[in-house]
Amino acid sequence: MDFNFTREQDMLRNMVRDFAQKELAPRIPEFDQTEGEWPYDVMKRMGQLGLTGLAIPKEFGGNGMGHVALMIAWEEIARVYATWASHLRGFVLPAYAISHFGPAWAQKEIVPRVCKGEIQGLMSLTEDTGGSDLANIRTTCVADGDHYIVNGRKIMQSRYSVSDFYTVIAKAGEKSFNYLLITKDMPGVQIGRRENYISCTTRTALVGEVIYDNVRVPKRNIIGEEGKGFKPVLTTVGAIGRLGGAGISLGIAESAFDLALKYAKNRKLYGKPIAELQAIRWLLVDMHTKVEAAKYFNYQPSWALDNGKKPHEIAGDLARAKLFANETALDVCLKSIEIHGGYGTTPEFGVIQKMKGALDQMTAAGSNQVMKRAMSEAIIGTSA
Amino acid sequence: MNIVVCVKQVPDPEQFSKITLDPVRGTIRREGIPSVMNPLDKHAIEEALIIREKFGGRVTALSMGPTQAKETLQEALAMGCDDAVLLCDRSLGGADSLATAYPLADAIRHICQFDVVVCGNDTVDGATAQVGPQLAEFLEIPHVTHVTGIEFTSERSWIVKRAIERGYMKVALELPALITVLKEVNQPRLPSVIDIMSAASKPINEWACTNLSLAAPIIGLGGSPTKVVGSFEQDIRRGKDILKGPEAEVVGKAIKRLKELGAL
Repeated sequence: MDFNFTREQDMLRNMVRDFAQKELAPRIPEFDQTEGEWPYDVMKRMGQLGLTGLAIPKEFGGNGMGHVALMIAWEEIARVYATWASHLRGFVLPAYAISHFGPAWAQKEIVPRVCKGEIQGLMSLTEDTGGSDLANIRTTCVADGDHYIVNGRKIMQSRYSVSDFYTVIAKAGEKSFNYLLITKDMPGVQIGRRENYISCTTRTALVGEVIYDNVRVPKRNIIGEEGKGFKPVLTTVGAIGRLGGAGISLGIAESAFDLALKYAKNRKLYGKPIAELQAIRWLLVDMHTKVEAAKYFNYQPSWALDNGKKPHEIAGDLARAKLFANETALDVCLKSIEIHGGYGTTPEFGVIQKMKGALDQMTAAGSNQVMKRAMSEAIIGTSA
Repeated sequence: MNIVVCVKQVPDPEQFSKITLDPVRGTIRREGIPSVMNPLDKHAIEEALIIREKFGGRVTALSMGPTQAKETLQEALAMGCDDAVLLCDRSLGGADSLATAYPLADAIRHICQFDVVVCGNDTVDGATAQVGPQLAEFLEIPHVTHVTGIEFTSERSWIVKRAIERGYMKVALELPALITVLKEVNQPRLPSVIDIMSAASKPINEWACTNLSLAAPIIGLGGSPTKVVGSFEQDIRRGKDILKGPEAEVVGKAIKRLKELGAL
């Protein structure tokens, strides 16, 4: 067994850390507290650096460095600012689906532009009747010659108002679903209301509805096979959605631990730093242990994907990574808040923002309980 | 234009709080402390790349150290350097700044007919800021330290801005020359993923003393005129004396007390 990162992966980590600390950290007040235009320059920069192309094959404009590399990027960006790590996942999701399942024209025309940071898309799955329960979505696609007519309303769409294209799952029949590439310029595409999240009122975090009203979509825009749309969706959600949630949660947990450790070494009580008190020491040890365990749960399936495993073959491992990393993030953030005392919930100390990020990831790409369902199916078998 | 940039691998400054001293040997314990490129050396590379972009030519990164220092040279290649040379020989170990500059100068002569040598002003571990100037003396070229900016008036004649206490001075410099830079000189570029991946396949030339033409025995611990005779951890304690009384009297007492403590 070899637990070492390659030299390239180490250098990538250094680069992403520098990027996050030097280019994102100084702008956190702007991202977090101001309204205005979504920061396209950051997306462009991620493209220039090659971060959006990490898990995209070279022939489609990516660099093919792989899933471990992408995990490193998520982790390091989330240590500084989780929202941009989350956006990186969002950029990769639809590009990954297209690069693995087609259509061929989009692999040449759309994916390379995503890798360069020129355009962005979103995976358009969730509805009020189903996200994790995809079979019960209400968006429909009806064949009309060499087109499909798509009707439906998708909710909780990240970057809903700034995306250039959407990869949409729609029902074609009782057990038939199509995964379709829809572009913003197609007549009938409408941007709906912005969701009223407590964490989504600023320029960086945009979540809202996208409505498809009699959108005529050419059949050449089908991702994967006609009528078998679940396969590309579930493959991508597993490999990028869940693994991304795991990576982002890991970065959040690490940074919340770092803040707690620093504070505990400086804050004095009874004449000595609180890090000298057994109650605090044990807390820090528990936090550290979970963070380190999350690294193994995260990097092992990332490595497996780079070494030929298919997402469906390791669905349980991918779900476990997300479940454990996110529960770790929630727990570590809570303990970090406790160690900070009253300062823990003040924005100046930064821990409460970490908690907010951990909460965002709890439900993104499938809630933690949904992860248990996937794990139980891998361990025990499909339930009746 | 042939540019040589000198880089050094150092313990990660962000982990300095974890460094301890070996009380017997008087050396620092580096176990478990990751190594990184000396921060100012990134600025040196950036300046070398800027010069190359302006006038063309090649940039060669040069380092002296153990095999592990190849990691730092790989980063230099990822940033955009064309070639890399590692001077790696057990007999060079334990060198002070003079015994570092001497073999480095010889290596530079072997690399190319150089026009400019760029170094970081100092390193975070040794912090002597001497290697650059000593290197220039061995190479018999002019040098400017504490560089914060360059006006490229022509290809071989520059106006170099250097920081001094409470201000700066501008120096006219003719090439060939050596400069040592401060962080204000530029913002080092980040390598892209493609740069990182292609750097991994670029060769790093490893040279031993047999590749050089060292005329004098100024190498390694034996050739070092300075020796570290001891290291100690600084004991910083805070205390306070509260002086009471009429103002003039208190001022007098304060001066007397500060003199006793060696602060004045």
